[in-house]
Amino acid sequence: MAARETTWTIILFLLPTLVFLSIFVIWPIVSSFRLSFFEWDGINPVKDPVGLDNWSRLIHDGIFWKAFRNNLTVVTLSLAVQMPIGMGLAILLEQGEKLFIFKIFKTVYFFPMLMSSVAIGILFKYVYDPIFGIINPALEAVGLEAWTRSWLGDTGVALYAVIAVICWQYIPFYMILFLAALRGIPEDLRDAALMDGATEPRYYRSIALPLVQGTLRTAMILSLIGSLKYFDLIWVMTEGGPSNASELMATYMYKKAFPSFEMGYGSAVASAMFIIVMVIALVMQSLTSRFETEV
Amino acid sequence: MRKVFILVLVAAMLIGGGVVSARQEKSITMWHIQNTGDGPELLQQAADRYMADNPDVSVEVVPMQNDPYKTRIRTAMGAGDAPCIFLSWGGGPLYEYVKADQVLDLTDYMNADDYAANRFVPASLSNVTFDGKIYGVPVENTSVAVIFYNKAIFEQYGLEPPATWDELLAVSQTLIDNGVTPFSLANKTKWTSSMYYMYLVDRIAGPEVFASAANRTGGSFEDPAFVQAGQMIQDLVNMGAFNEGFNGLDYDTGQGRMLIYANQAAMELMGSWEIGNFLSENEAFYAEDLGIIPFPAVEGGVGDPSNVVGTVGDNYYSISPTCEYPDEAFELLQYVIDDESVAARIESGRVPPVKGVADLIEEPILKQIVELVENANSVQLWYDQYLPPELGEVHKDTMQALFGLDITPEEAAQQQEAAVAEYYGE
Repeated sequence: MAARETTWTIILFLLPTLVFLSIFVIWPIVSSFRLSFFEWDGINPVKDPVGLDNWSRLIHDGIFWKAFRNNLTVVTLSLAVQMPIGMGLAILLEQGEKLFIFKIFKTVYFFPMLMSSVAIGILFKYVYDPIFGIINPALEAVGLEAWTRSWLGDTGVALYAVIAVICWQYIPFYMILFLAALRGIPEDLRDAALMDGATEPRYYRSIALPLVQGTLRTAMILSLIGSLKYFDLIWVMTEGGPSNASELMATYMYKKAFPSFEMGYGSAVASAMFIIVMVIALVMQSLTSRFETEV
Repeated sequence: MRKVFILVLVAAMLIGGGVVSARQEKSITMWHIQNTGDGPELLQQAADRYMADNPDVSVEVVPMQNDPYKTRIRTAMGAGDAPCIFLSWGGGPLYEYVKADQVLDLTDYMNADDYAANRFVPASLSNVTFDGKIYGVPVENTSVAVIFYNKAIFEQYGLEPPATWDELLAVSQTLIDNGVTPFSLANKTKWTSSMYYMYLVDRIAGPEVFASAANRTGGSFEDPAFVQAGQMIQDLVNMGAFNEGFNGLDYDTGQGRMLIYANQAAMELMGSWEIGNFLSENEAFYAEDLGIIPFPAVEGGVGDPSNVVGTVGDNYYSISPTCEYPDEAFELLQYVIDDESVAARIESGRVPPVKGVADLIEEPILKQIVELVENANSVQLWYDQYLPPELGEVHKDTMQALFGLDITPEEAAQQQEAAVAEYYGE
């Protein structure tokens, strides 16, 4: 009796969210999949069913796979750069919490999080400008002419130039996340460790890090999924260019669905993205959870 | 409970403000992309005058950025949510909308009292006339691509405006030797570099070679003219005629013009709307140093050097079939291109596509533009606006890769031909 009542209560409480999710998330995903079997320009009332044409075109589309590889580059570099720096800053801020100056640092570090992606994108377009920007003239001033690049206009550099900005934008988010996790560790654990003769670094390595593992894992999965779906900064700064050098799956999807009026093919790209992100996220989830049980 | 009731009431009043007011208001929304210089005021003033004469109509004029607009309008149409009045550049994309029944046929409005025949330059209507029906009102500008140049820099190095391609190469070399970039180019935007290609093809082989390739009447994008144009462009890139990193610079945020204002670049090939930008952004440069050069002739080319690439009309305003008040919307458009609006547009450095405009213009640079257009045997519409959108995108991507030296001129020709052939199911 009681159990059944609980079940009903759960269902009742879930219902509003479920309805909302179905309308705004699940249904669009389903209709994107459905659209991927049609040829449609997005405005015409008539949609031509073309079977698997869009999908076979996708399998043979070199630009899509190039975009996929670029996405993997974004994933790898985001994880490799954002997690350690985010954690390092969090530890630093926790250490210096008593000092007033660190309050200012915290605010300054957090600042990029408060700006909109589009504003950041436009700002860095000017920063990277080869002649009127900040970076090249600064390099020239210290005698490093050899290091100057046309950052966003060079097919070999554009992707990395944008990834640097993505990291700059997201590190504060992970910093705050990790700081909250570190603060969540009971104070007496630290006291006990120090009493037993552990140094501060040793405390972080052997006690704090294992305890915030769950947060770290969540952060990694957030970063991974975010990087696979990434769109806004790349679009504002390079539109996937030059010559697809910084193309990501999401920018390619957008280009096909909107400016080129190929809504059907764009939907196929979107559906493929959904499958890829899903698979990679599940693999990551199971890998990290196995790792956790071994600790 | 009472609180909730009051909240609901307040919300209802906010949402349905128009419903509460005693007088029924007709509302018209207009989207445009004239967002630089005097652009927004030009349209707002016309709308204000219209509203003053028609107090029962409220007009909302919404300015947008060029590239985001292209997406927004399609999304709005797909959702059945299009504004009453929207703009296009005529040509291929507008025809897509027409075929999808998203554009009102304006033929009867335009022909009433011979309005169109008396008001507009004939060339301006060809980009919006499909199957004998007119779908847009030409308003903004007569925009043709010309080379803008800094007269002071030319004087400093004893240079003359080039009349032929060889002269242009010689001028460029002199500028490079003196540490000045010959041409400023911001090509994240892609259509900016297309202008060189379109002109070279036209000068090498005339407008027919593109028309027959694009309309599939026996021509091909692998025609030697396209390959030669690509080769000439890459020679220009290789000699250092453009600023470094151009493929990463955004025209829409002015990164191309910055080089001109800083005297780092001497020339820019751009549509004549750039005059308005120079006028509003840097009046001193405009007044003292700005000159224009028609695109030079190519040695051995059969194209008429008087031909221009561009559009007579630039932004055409169309009415959406979902518009509740098409009569009022068309009347508003007549205000947007009436004598007062035309005078204001000329004032801000534009050439509205109306009859007798040449007599109204005193400003020397604008006069030159008008004369160029009047003397041209052909006005080649921008490729990316002429072609269906899918192919326009392919063309622009090809241009960026061609200028970036990522593909050879032959590959550029092949890629475009393959895309066009596939599109038409050949």
